[in-house]
Amino acid sequence: MNNLSIPQSLTLMNVMATLSLKADAQRYFFGYLWWILEPLLWVGVFYLVFEVLLGTGRADFLVFLAVGKLTFIWFSKSVSQSANSLLGSRGLIGKMDAPKWLFPLAVCHEGLYKQVAVFALLIVMLLYEGYAPSAAWLWLVPLAITQYLLIVGCGMLAALLVCMRQDFQLLVQLGMVFLLFMSGIFWDIDSIGNAALRENLLLVNPLASLIDLYRTVLMDGSAPLLTQWLTVLVESVVILAVLVWAYRALHYWIARRVVTQ
Amino acid sequence: MSALLTLENVGMQFAVRPDHESGQHTVFEGINLILNEGDRLGIVGRNGAGKSTLLRIMAKIYAPATGSVIWAPGVTVSLLSLGLGFKNELTGRDNAYLAGLLQGLTKNAAKQCLVSIEAFCELGDYFDEPVKTYSAGMRARLGFATALLNNASVLLVDEVLSVGDKEFREKAQLALEDQFSDRRSVVLVSHSEAHVAGICNGAICLDRGGITARGAPQEVLRSHSGQPSGASGLKINR
Repeated sequence: MNNLSIPQSLTLMNVMATLSLKADAQRYFFGYLWWILEPLLWVGVFYLVFEVLLGTGRADFLVFLAVGKLTFIWFSKSVSQSANSLLGSRGLIGKMDAPKWLFPLAVCHEGLYKQVAVFALLIVMLLYEGYAPSAAWLWLVPLAITQYLLIVGCGMLAALLVCMRQDFQLLVQLGMVFLLFMSGIFWDIDSIGNAALRENLLLVNPLASLIDLYRTVLMDGSAPLLTQWLTVLVESVVILAVLVWAYRALHYWIARRVVTQ
Repeated sequence: MSALLTLENVGMQFAVRPDHESGQHTVFEGINLILNEGDRLGIVGRNGAGKSTLLRIMAKIYAPATGSVIWAPGVTVSLLSLGLGFKNELTGRDNAYLAGLLQGLTKNAAKQCLVSIEAFCELGDYFDEPVKTYSAGMRARLGFATALLNNASVLLVDEVLSVGDKEFREKAQLALEDQFSDRRSVVLVSHSEAHVAGICNGAICLDRGGITARGAPQEVLRSHSGQPSGASGLKINR
C-alpha cells in the first residue's frame, strides 16, 4: 500500500520516538530527569492526599500506590498523547504515503522508553521498602509487554477517533480521569465485596486487571493468575488487531481527513 | 519508452466542510493522463484547481474518488513539496535524517546524506538548532535539500523552485535538473511560467474541474494566461 516496508516503518518509528525524546529532554532544564521526576511527583501528590490527609490505614500504601500510579501514568500519558498524533502529523501525512499506524505507535514507543526508567525506579523503591527480590518479578516483562500492546491499541483508537471528530480529544481526557478512578490505583480492587462485580470490572477494564497483576507479582512475590493475565493479553491483542485492520481499511480516508481538517 | 503512471478517468471530491460527510465538491473529474519515461510534465492552473490534490493521487497519498491510477510494476513515486513535515522541536540535522528515512533510505544512507544536505542548504550553525528558530527562507532551504534524497522513478514537484533568494532558486533549479534522466518522469506544479517553459517537455492546464489544455508548454501557458480570471470552477454537489 505504501513505499515503506514494515521493517523500514518500524525503524522509522523508533527513530521518530528517540529523536522526539531527545528534543523533549533538551527543552527542559532537568532534561531526562523528568522521566522519573514527573511520575514521582504524581505519586507524592496522591500519597499526600490519600495517606497523609485521609489516612488509608495500609502500612504498604506507598508501594501499593506507586505500583498502581506508575503503571497507570504510562497508559494515560501514552494514549492521551497518541490521540493527537495523526492530526499533529498533517505535514508528513500530506507529503508521503506512510502507514498511518506509524504516528500513534511512535508516541507509544516514546512512552515505552520512559517506562523502562520508571520500572527501574519502582524496583529501587521496592528494595528500599524492604521487599525481597523474587523470581516472580520476572513476570514484569510479560506484563509490561501486555500493557504495551494495550497502550498501542488504545492509542491507535484514540488517534482515529480524534481524526474523525476532534471532540473526541476532550472525551479521551475525560476517559483517562474515569479510568484513574476505576482501575484501583489508590484503592484495592479486592475491597469490592461483590465477587461477580469485581470479576466484571477486571474483565471490562484490562488496565485494572493489569495493575492487580503487577501488585501480585511485585508486592506479593507470586506468579500471576494465568487466566487473568491471558484474558488481558487476548483483550489487548484483539483491540490491536481490530485497529490494525481499521487503519489498513481507512488508509486513504485518514490521509484525506487529516490533510483537509 | 513505457508508461510509468496512467490515470484513467480520475476524479476527486472533498467534503465541503471536513466535519460534514454530506455536501461534496468536485475538485476535478475525468482526468486521463499517461506519464512515460523521460516525460517532464508541467501542471498549471489557478489556486484551488486541484494541482496539489492531483499530485497526491499520483503519490498514492489519496485514492481517487472515481477512476483509477495504474503504476507500472516497480515504479516508485516521490512528492517533493516544501514547508511540510518538519518537527519544530528537532534540529535541522535531525529533521534531515528523519526525511531520509521517510523517503525509504537506510539509517546509514540517511546519515551519509547529511553532509551534502548541510552543504547544500547553507544554514551554517543553524543546521544544529531547532527548526522552530528558522525563518521561512531557512525552512525552505532545508526543505528543498531534504526533498531530493531519493531515486524515485516518478518525481512529483510541488512549487519547490519558488523559494529563497535568486541565487538559491538558481541553485535549486540546477539541482533539480540534475535529477532528470530518460528513465525518470517528472511532474512539476508551478505558478512560474519560466519554470514550466524551461524545464518541461509537455504541460496541462488544470481548471474548471478538468484538463482545459494539454500540449507543448508554451501553448498551454498561452491558453492558461488567456483564460478569464475568477473562481477555479469547483462544482458543489449536495
